[in-house]
Amino acid sequence: MNISYNWLKDLIDIDLSADELGKKLTSVGLAVEGIHLHGDDLVLDIDLTSNRPDCLSHLGIAREIGVIENIAVKALTSTLASQAADDGLVTIECPEICHRFTARIIKNVNIGPSPKWLVDRLEALGERSINNVADITNYVMHELGQPMHSFDLDKLAGGRIVVRKARAGEGITTLDEVERKIDDSMVVVCDAEKPAALGGIMGGLDSSITDGTSNVLLEVACFERKNIRTTSRKLNLATEASYRFERGVDIENLETASNRATELICELAGGEAGEFIDVYPTRREKIEVRSTDISAAVRRLTGLNVAHEESVRILNSLGITAVDGSATQAFAGPSWRHDIHIEEDLVEEVARHAGYHKIASELPPAFGAGEYQPSESREKRLRQTLVDAGFNEALSYSFIDTRNDGVFQTIPDLVVESLNEQYVTLKDSVIDGAVRMRPTILPGLLDAIRLNLNHQRRDIKLFEIGKVFAATAGVGALPNEQKAFSLVMTGGQTYEGRATSSRQLDFYDAKGAVEGALDSAGAREITFSTAEVTHLRHGQTASILLNGVEIGYLGRLNDEIAGAYKFKQPVYVAELNLTLALTSNAERVTYEPLAKFPGVSRDVSFVVDRKVQFASIEAIIRKPEYEMCQSVVFVDIYEGKGLKEHERSITVRYLYRSDERTLVEEEVEALHNEIIEATEKELGISTRF
Amino acid sequence: MSEERRQVELIREAFEQEFGRFADLSVDGLAIDDAEALLRDVGELKIKHTGKKSAIAGAMKLIGKVAPEDRGTFGQFVQSIEKDIAAKIESIESELSGVIAAAKIERERLDVTIPGRRPKTGHLHLITILRQKIEDIFVSMGYAIEDDREIETDYYNFDALNISEGHPARESQDTFYTTDGFALRSQTSTVQIRAMERRGVPIRIIAPGKVFRRDTPDMTHVPMFHQIEGLCVDKGITMAHLKGTVTEWLKRLFGEDTITRFRPSYFPFTEPSAEFDFSCFKCHGSGVFEGERCRPCKGSGWIELGGSGMVHPNVLRECGVDPTVYSGFAFGFGLERMCALMYSLDDIRLMFDNDVRFLEQFK
Repeated sequence: MNISYNWLKDLIDIDLSADELGKKLTSVGLAVEGIHLHGDDLVLDIDLTSNRPDCLSHLGIAREIGVIENIAVKALTSTLASQAADDGLVTIECPEICHRFTARIIKNVNIGPSPKWLVDRLEALGERSINNVADITNYVMHELGQPMHSFDLDKLAGGRIVVRKARAGEGITTLDEVERKIDDSMVVVCDAEKPAALGGIMGGLDSSITDGTSNVLLEVACFERKNIRTTSRKLNLATEASYRFERGVDIENLETASNRATELICELAGGEAGEFIDVYPTRREKIEVRSTDISAAVRRLTGLNVAHEESVRILNSLGITAVDGSATQAFAGPSWRHDIHIEEDLVEEVARHAGYHKIASELPPAFGAGEYQPSESREKRLRQTLVDAGFNEALSYSFIDTRNDGVFQTIPDLVVESLNEQYVTLKDSVIDGAVRMRPTILPGLLDAIRLNLNHQRRDIKLFEIGKVFAATAGVGALPNEQKAFSLVMTGGQTYEGRATSSRQLDFYDAKGAVEGALDSAGAREITFSTAEVTHLRHGQTASILLNGVEIGYLGRLNDEIAGAYKFKQPVYVAELNLTLALTSNAERVTYEPLAKFPGVSRDVSFVVDRKVQFASIEAIIRKPEYEMCQSVVFVDIYEGKGLKEHERSITVRYLYRSDERTLVEEEVEALHNEIIEATEKELGISTRF
Repeated sequence: MSEERRQVELIREAFEQEFGRFADLSVDGLAIDDAEALLRDVGELKIKHTGKKSAIAGAMKLIGKVAPEDRGTFGQFVQSIEKDIAAKIESIESELSGVIAAAKIERERLDVTIPGRRPKTGHLHLITILRQKIEDIFVSMGYAIEDDREIETDYYNFDALNISEGHPARESQDTFYTTDGFALRSQTSTVQIRAMERRGVPIRIIAPGKVFRRDTPDMTHVPMFHQIEGLCVDKGITMAHLKGTVTEWLKRLFGEDTITRFRPSYFPFTEPSAEFDFSCFKCHGSGVFEGERCRPCKGSGWIELGGSGMVHPNVLRECGVDPTVYSGFAFGFGLERMCALMYSLDDIRLMFDNDVRFLEQFK
């Protein structure tokens, strides 16, 4: 909000420079964001918090300065009679919304341009001059904080005012020349027949002041905050008036404001002021704030020592006064303050004027040991392993486009399949189409792959950890949130500072990354099995199992999705339920005695049908009679020349060792042959050489 | 003896003749292959002219024909020639070997400035980097890290935080709602409530997490960002402890000379409330950096970071905590804004684009 330095000087005697004033106001919570020159004036740009509508005027700012400097604000005097009349000109039918309505008729005015000083004052605040009467109402609002409206009396049917709720089917064309539909929750200021203004928001076009106006009805009223806010939102119409009314204006200031405007109109536009009409059905409820020892309360919450007398002085000069005859010592805020409800509010008032800079800086007494999230150390290691393996950490928005629905298979334990509406949807978004709370991180990462490919990056590895969302069964139940971990990779294996990649990444790189990440995160009992997953290519898809329970999927992105993203190189992706992975018990390591006797190894190449898996070959040696065969390790795989289309050759290494003695050649040979024979027989495969 | 001497002289001459090509040989700049060929030839000469079967070794047999009084002299003469031959061969041999060894070393000389063979490593997101740093500081100060739901009820997002119907922060223009009427949390203060419900008091927690506001993405706005919320509730907690705590962690992050400033403000969930600023980490509060207006603080010397205050009694009561017995402070700030300031980012959308050229800049 803009405040004129010269204008302030009309209201309070200050010898502070604008700069000094700016610093002092900032220190009491009225943040002066900037000061700029306007002609011979300086304009302070003040960023007000929403609890201080009383400062939305020069008077309000002057009051705060008065407290800071301990000087009084100049009183506005009026020669107008303070006798209020009620001659039936104004009727309020909705006193719960229109708490007070004052009116004054001013006859024989000359509508014309405003004098220079008035134009200058408004322009300093960034306001445009319209005509003398409109400018005066605007001026008084900026001076005293009270929104007001002037009607052309002769255009008000019946020459009277009825304040009521709008009726079904009614409409009004407002001053901004927009025809607005109104409903029965909104309050309208009507003449004898129809709405003439949207109460507290904007006047109607038909009854507005024009060059030909000679008789004015000046409305100075007060409306209920919530109603104005609701109407303003419904109509998408925010004005200076609605801004103030919805935050709260000073209902006791209406007469002063009316008098001020009336006198200025009479002075600058001629005219004779009529009687002041005041209909005041709903009085302000005075809130008593109990405070037996304000000084102690300030000390308790802020650590500041402010003497009782000083505390009371600050409160009093803010208009917060002791409630007469209260035995329990209570204070009540002035009519312009709407934010004084509890003792803590009083404490803030005292503290901010005593000065936050005087509050000491000390650490609270020692309390206990700090702690990370239980899964944080595992998650940290997982992140570091991936980073070491060349993955960059990505962060994408939690809302994604609905076109991804059903394209990706979500991680286990997230979506309730039986629900009609499985996903969580936003009512609207600020990004086109992105109304789905992501059930998968993958679309975000694939967007990132595309972006980077477009920037001529061919070798990309990304991972992301974040929440994914799905609907839950049960009325009113909060959606399911699970932590997911996803990675995507494409291109080749790259080296720091070297231009070309050494080889193209494949399925096993992705699998290795998942294994490494999970292993470092303490999820050790990981196995993989052939699977079919919506977004992955058949034959290059695995489900990821932890202790035999599926936690996610891994594989090559299918051609359909890859095509849609215009990927010309294979993209490998993995996604798993990290909540599940991190809550599994990390296996405790136990020491195994080191082998005392040498082992013997034998390499074997099997020719197998593509459907026969290494895991099956591996499984054979687990029989108790093969105990001396300690392990079978994968060596290599070969496909192509010399083999049939459906075949591949898989080379493995068997390791034989005993813990009791050095094995002799013959017994190894015998056992090895037995194992090979059993393998061939059980799996229907044969050795290659 | 002269006959025997002559015979020995002949042996030497025969050697000298065969050795002649090596006598004036300059090994400098010899190609490695040539040197190796020469070395082989020298090897053949060595076999022929040294050792027990060589002519000069045979000359020792002539000693019997020499007069006994001359035998000593003759013997020495033969030996000197034998030595001379051996020395000459050895000398050229070692010269050639030296050249070959040096050439081989030279041939295998590496360019040590070529990058090492290091698999490319990745980078943590800068939000993670900053979050981890701040978490480490607070854990060392006795705080527990908390996290909770991102989709919340209005109760946790607003009501329990004393944000009444009609408070500007509650307007639906600012908050995302799901079709089921749940809110995407608009501040991490929701965790204050959940953590107090779960842990009770006294409590000291830090809650980092994602928050959502209905801002259309532009240079300075994103609809999703990260906040860190702090909460400390105990008997006797005052604003002095708030100031001390905020100042302490900022000092640990930005250096001992960091100072803070608290300004009165308004938040529904704190009373009294304060915004906190800290002296600019770049210009150290002077507003001028390298003779120019300092960029992060826009020349003010201060960086506005976040909001704070004493937990509102309504919030405490809502969590079953008696505000006449306990008091506490809370503070919160945005990580994106902090990152933008620390790294001079002029467009915070970059943080969610996942452009590798951007991600790779942070460690």
